[in-house]
Parts: sequence; C-alpha cells; structure tokens
Amino acid sequence: MTPDAADPILSVTALHKHFGDLHVLRGVDLEVRRGETVCLIGSSGSGKSTFLRCINFMEYPSAGRIVIAGKEVGQPTGTRDGAPVYRYRERELTRIRTSVGMVFQQFNLFPHKTALENVMEGLLIVRRLPRAEAEERARADLKKVGLIDKADQYPSRLSGGQQQRVAIARALAMEPAIMLFDEVTSSLDPELVGEVLRAMRDLAHEGMTMLVVTHELGFAYHVAKKVLFLHEGVIHEQGTPDEVLKNPRQERTKAFLTGFTDFYF
Amino acid sequence: MSVHEWKFGVVLEYWRNFARGLLGTFELAAIIVLAALVGGVLVGAARYSKLRLLNWPATAFIELFRNTPVFVQIVWFYFAFPVIIGKQMHGFYAALLGIGLNMIAYSAEIFRGGIQSIERGQWEAAKSIGMGYAAMMRRIILPQAIRRMVPAFANRLIEAVKATSLASTIAVSELLFEGEQLANSIYRPLEIYTVVAMLYFLAIYPLALLSYWLERRLAIDERVKL
Repeated sequence: MTPDAADPILSVTALHKHFGDLHVLRGVDLEVRRGETVCLIGSSGSGKSTFLRCINFMEYPSAGRIVIAGKEVGQPTGTRDGAPVYRYRERELTRIRTSVGMVFQQFNLFPHKTALENVMEGLLIVRRLPRAEAEERARADLKKVGLIDKADQYPSRLSGGQQQRVAIARALAMEPAIMLFDEVTSSLDPELVGEVLRAMRDLAHEGMTMLVVTHELGFAYHVAKKVLFLHEGVIHEQGTPDEVLKNPRQERTKAFLTGFTDFYF
Repeated sequence: MSVHEWKFGVVLEYWRNFARGLLGTFELAAIIVLAALVGGVLVGAARYSKLRLLNWPATAFIELFRNTPVFVQIVWFYFAFPVIIGKQMHGFYAALLGIGLNMIAYSAEIFRGGIQSIERGQWEAAKSIGMGYAAMMRRIILPQAIRRMVPAFANRLIEAVKATSLASTIAVSELLFEGEQLANSIYRPLEIYTVVAMLYFLAIYPLALLSYWLERRLAIDERVKL
C-alpha cells in the first residue's frame, strides 16, 4: 500500500442486498479514503447496518463490487440488478477480515477472557505473534482507550462503556486498514455514550480510517469528513457535515433530521 | 398385622454379593458414560452439520432413541436384535447397547444445544478479527459451550447410573440383580432391598452434589479454567 492520502481504502459500487423478497440495499456507492471518517446516518430499517455488515462479509452482498485496499473481493460470476455478482471463498474473506476491524452494537466481548486476553486473542491466534509481543501491543491498545487499569478484569465486571472501549481496542489491535462501527453507542446508558465517542474521536484524529453507522449526529457533525444519508436502501444525500446535517437539500433528509430534537452542534 | 423383625446382620454377611453387584453397576455405568461422551460429540456434530448425509441419520437416530423407553430398548436388544444378527447376545452387551445408545442420543442433543446456545455475536466477533472456523470453535465457542453443557451432562450421568438397574431384568450381574438373587436364597427381601436402595443412594448422591457444585461454579463465574 502506498502512503498516498488520496488512496481509497474502501470502494463500494452498486451494492445490493436481498433477504428473500426484501430488497434491503438498492445499489449503494461509497468511497472512503485513507484517514477519513465517514458517517452513515438514517432511520432504523434504512439498511445502514446491513451495508456495514456486507463490507466485512458478515452478510454476503447479493450484487455489487467491493474493493478493499486496492483489492477486489471475490470473483465476478454474473449480474443481478444490473450489478456484478461475486462468488466469495471463505478463505479469502477470513483474510480480508483481518484488515477490516468491526465494533458491534452489543460489544460481543469474549466473556471467558479478560480485557487483555480479548485484545490479545487476534494477535495470538490470527497474527501468530509471540505471547510477550502480543501482550505488549494489547496493553498499548488498552492504554489508548483509557483502560489499562482494567486489563485483568473480565467483561462481566466492566460497564457497558468500558466493554465497548475494550471491543474497540480488540479491533484496533489487528491494525486494520479501516474500522467499521455499527451503532456502537446504541445499547449504552446515556451517561456512558460520551466515553466511547471520545475514544472514537481520538482514533479519528490519529488518522484511523473509519466508517461509522450512528445516531449520534453531534459526533457525525464534529468528527466526520463526509456524511451520507441512507433511506430505504438508497443514498439520498451526501456531503460534508455542514451540507447534510445543517443545510440538507432533500426532503427525506430534512424529515429525518427534525426527529432529532436534542441535537446540538 | 405382624411386625417385621429387621435383621440386617444376616444380610450384611453377604456383603460380597453387594460388592459384586456394585462393581457390575459401576462397570456398566462407566462404559455407558464414556460412550455417551464420545458418541454424543460425534452424533451431536453430525446433527449440527449442514450436510444432509450426516444430519438426517443423526436426527433419525436421536429421535428414535429419545422417544422410546430405555427399558424397551434393553429388552429389544436382548430378544430381537440376536434374531437379526443370528447370534445370542449376553445380557451385559444388550444392556450396554440399550442404555448406551439412549444416552448417546441425549448427550448429542446436549452437545448441539450447548453450541447453538452461544450468541451469534460471539461467532461474529471471532470472525471479525479474522479467525477461521477451527480456531473459532476451539478458542471461543467450545470453552463457553462446554460450561453450559457440564451441568446437563452431570444430570445425564446420574440418569445413566440409575438406568443400569434395568439390566437386572435380563440377568446382568449388577446391584439390583445381585440383591434379587440374594433375596431368593436367604428370604430377607425387606432388608436386602433396603441395603440396595441405600447403596444406590450412596453411589449417586455424590454425583448429584458434584453436579450442583459444577452448576454453581460455572454459572456465576466466567473465570473458572476448564
């Protein structure tokens, strides 16, 4: 990979996803460049989580092209909805996932492992680092999210906000080319949201490439370089936070934004 | 109504018969539990598999043995099975087959249920850091699933020990059969069956305690190393 800042880390073209009769994503295009934070907003059911899950292949796209760090994923086999259909091999996807970090709404920490062991797991088992080196790196990542003093705690002893920050450290430890955040503050108590958003903001400022599905419009406004509004599986509007969040042109976007009464810039 | 004069002293002189019976019970139970563990994992994995070639036979096996009485299975293996294979079968093996296959069927369901009880998020989290299927199973899914299976397996173990008493009906030397034999020769059935019941209790109660202990330990604390 070249260190060119204009490099697209992720490029998605005409992504479609069907669940049976349900056409959830109807041709979504997206480009995320190195070091950018892109926020995806939209009401629930708009397909934004599905879109995110297609990018690290927790769901297989029905059609559409995905290029990650310059590499096209899968082999094209035909067309559907006017977009190329790909065949994916699990082996390839497993490799791809090591460079696409994901943080989930429900944290999904491994409950039988300490915070430190959660972060070390991928380094030991996937990257096959020696234990001492894995531990050193895991501790550095826990420090980054402000949880070095909780290294030896089990997830059940941590608050939701702390668990989510450990989950961020776990994804970060793999040194991914891009990190995906799937509504990571939606299941947190309101007073715990701030600490997670701050950790994400710090990551963004350090130059991590991030694609964030969120309802936190304040975060989107202050941190994102680009905001996209997804509605019924289609991107209705995109642009800078000022353009999309303050001066939306589309009626749909305006209607969505008026639903947020306590949204301060 | 005449009052029975309890005479345990006479009966206890025949302690060797009881010991022989207990040994038979333990022997049957040990083989059955071993088979249930190994066979249960294999059949459970087949049942869990998406391959029809594995899934269908496993499902048929489990449903067949779970939905017929274990006593009928023992009797069937003793009387009917020999006709099919054209060879007389010792009661010990008939009991092993009847109880053992029944236990395998239950264990397979415990195994499958344990794995399926692990939340989807755990699989996805493991996948998302680039783990392959084998590593995911070994490092993330099984350590959690086994915790949930252990109490159920312990209960099965208790059921297995109790079920061995059914083998007495086809003349297998185990605790109840030895008791019956003794009762027929020294005519002290009340004392003998009391001793038999107490011996079963003494053999099984520690297992129950073990299962309570495991249940408590595994339920509250994620930190127990397995």
